[in-house]
Amino acid sequence: MIELTDVSYTYPHTVQPALHRVSLSLKKGRCVMVTGPSGAGKTSLCLAASGILYHEYGGKKEGTVIVDKKNVSEYKSLSDLAQNVGVVFDDAEAQMIFTTVEEELLSALEHRGLSAEVIEERLDGIIRTTYLDEIRDRSPHHLSGGQKQRVALAATLALGNDILILDEPTSELDEHATQRIAEILAELKNQGKTILLVEHKYHHFRDMVDTLVILENGAITASGNPVTVLEDTRIRGMIFPDFSTIRKAVPKPSGSDPVISVQNLSHSYGDVPALSGINLTIHRGEFVAIVGENGSGKTTLVKHFNQLLSPTGGDVIINGRNTKECSIADLAHHVGLVFQNPDHMFFADTVLEEIAYGVKNLDIGNGDAVIDAALRDAGLSEMAGLYPRWLSRGERQRLAIACVVAMQPGIIVLDEPTTGLDGYEARMVIDMLKNLQEKGHTIIIITHNREIAEHCADRIIVMENGRIITDSEGA
Amino acid sequence: MTMAEILQYVHKDAFLHRLHPYTKIFFIILVTVMAIIATDIPFLILMVIALLAFAAYGNVLSESLNQLKLILVMSVIFILITVITMPNGETIGYVIPQGVPLVGGLIPITVGGLMIGVVLTLRFMILIFAFQLFLISTQPRDIVHAMEKIRVPIDYILMFIIALRFIPTLQIEGQRIHEAQLARGFNPGTGVLGKVRSVSPIVIPLVSNALLRSNVLGLTIDMRGYRTGKRTHVRERVFEKRDYAVMTVMVVAGCGFVALVLARMV
Repeated sequence: MIELTDVSYTYPHTVQPALHRVSLSLKKGRCVMVTGPSGAGKTSLCLAASGILYHEYGGKKEGTVIVDKKNVSEYKSLSDLAQNVGVVFDDAEAQMIFTTVEEELLSALEHRGLSAEVIEERLDGIIRTTYLDEIRDRSPHHLSGGQKQRVALAATLALGNDILILDEPTSELDEHATQRIAEILAELKNQGKTILLVEHKYHHFRDMVDTLVILENGAITASGNPVTVLEDTRIRGMIFPDFSTIRKAVPKPSGSDPVISVQNLSHSYGDVPALSGINLTIHRGEFVAIVGENGSGKTTLVKHFNQLLSPTGGDVIINGRNTKECSIADLAHHVGLVFQNPDHMFFADTVLEEIAYGVKNLDIGNGDAVIDAALRDAGLSEMAGLYPRWLSRGERQRLAIACVVAMQPGIIVLDEPTTGLDGYEARMVIDMLKNLQEKGHTIIIITHNREIAEHCADRIIVMENGRIITDSEGA
Repeated sequence: MTMAEILQYVHKDAFLHRLHPYTKIFFIILVTVMAIIATDIPFLILMVIALLAFAAYGNVLSESLNQLKLILVMSVIFILITVITMPNGETIGYVIPQGVPLVGGLIPITVGGLMIGVVLTLRFMILIFAFQLFLISTQPRDIVHAMEKIRVPIDYILMFIIALRFIPTLQIEGQRIHEAQLARGFNPGTGVLGKVRSVSPIVIPLVSNALLRSNVLGLTIDMRGYRTGKRTHVRERVFEKRDYAVMTVMVVAGCGFVALVLARMV
């Protein structure tokens, strides 16, 4: 159904090719999964395979792309290609144009030249397949990440094409929501759809993948039956990151020194309770993982540590001071918070200036040395002069951490620091955090990834519905 | 969540929602023309009350009042501007009390200036309320259909729909960026220049992310064929009895208004 032969592509105004002599064949009813480090060209590959690259982008293009027996150049336009290929992009929010789920799907359906009866019938079928019935009247800003992804997928299914291309549909999702997407895709494959899937989470999709393709630096480095491809230990490490060797003999914190003390904390957004009865003490030098489903209150809890949220009830004591008496700027000296999406913070022209921003804000002495050290710890010394948004996701994530580390807070809190990263990149981030712990920092991470929690943290806190349900020592 | 719902469609099954988009568009035009022509304060107040009653009848009163704070702030600004720039008639007081040395008594509050300010404020309120009623109760899809029928180019309609649709998205994103920068010791700055400079850590990520997003959005629109203009007509609103009834009421109101204008009563 899709045939790429020797495809190379270089974006306008760049030298390094994004794709280099990529050949790939996708047979009818099969599923090919493409994986690789962030910035390896996976999104470019999706764009190339769908013909979007040919029709919408400038730059240098070589090789041929055949979609459904026709060269992409023979299709008149994108709408013409869209008769054969459906693409789900990674940003689900941007794929929602209307204000309710049902409206979104109807709008996509009514441009396919179908009769009104067929449209209603197909609408019901799609809503059933993607489990959207309960939320069909909701608006986009009232949907969770997983629900948004299902809507984006459903709207693409509405086009009724046999070929589906999905670019990281689960990167922001928790285990449960990912599993749901995996089930839907498996069902679609059973219905005969041909699927090109770009993903990191192979283990959720292993039963449906026929061919596994590894893309690195724009070139395919391995391709074939997943079992054969995974025999290579280096590739195994990329897909199944090994965190078991990461635990270092960090001297057990003395226990006398609580840096965070949460006393009977509750928080509500309007009438909606988000946290209730939270009691928690964290000591200096601990590595704590907070796990739980989306909406269980993890992010709400950590936002109290630097007063981005104020308790509705109870107290939060940081280094002996009640947060109610501190400003956010005061607390920034003690608690550093790295949010999930690094792109929410970058605004400077260079990596160096980006790190310097926080250092200047807090008036930290010996700034240059501090910045250099942060760059080195993050492995970004050679990239100090680059524009932050040009970096790969893995590098941007480490830069985000470096920005916070340079502000020298004793406590560092990270919300989902391994989102969208491959095994090695995730490992680099975790190594960086372990080193910080060794230097005496207290590390708190929010993560969906059970393995990281179990292998790296000294302590695992499980949250559900705004409460802590277990709080136990790590393995 | 109320912050996130500026000018957004709210899914309900109520009177206004069941009206045909044309009826509501005609309603906006009529109300706008009336508000612009009328200068009589009691009449304009009556219009505001009528609009709110209409909202209450359509079960969207609380949504309509969401922007009340913004409207009140704008009102104060309007009145201040007209009082300062359009003094006219009898002086009833001063913005800065006369007792203040040097500047005291320089800006008189006049009856004429005050009146113009109040009229402008009421017009502003009426326009906002009317437009809100339309947007809260009309699905974007129906707006697209209605506009297409009167031959508005599809690209313009999509631009309009998308501009509204992404207001809450940008608000939420702006909030997240603000929090991320606060955690980095972001300092809102003092003085005009400081304020302007301190905006960049918020605005640059917001705009950069929005540009990236617009790329995906554009591709999505093309891939779904929204711009081809070919369409099957499903679940389309038809003109019903209630539309004819409302139209009749509006035509009568319009004629009544013309009569009042001719009699120089408003």
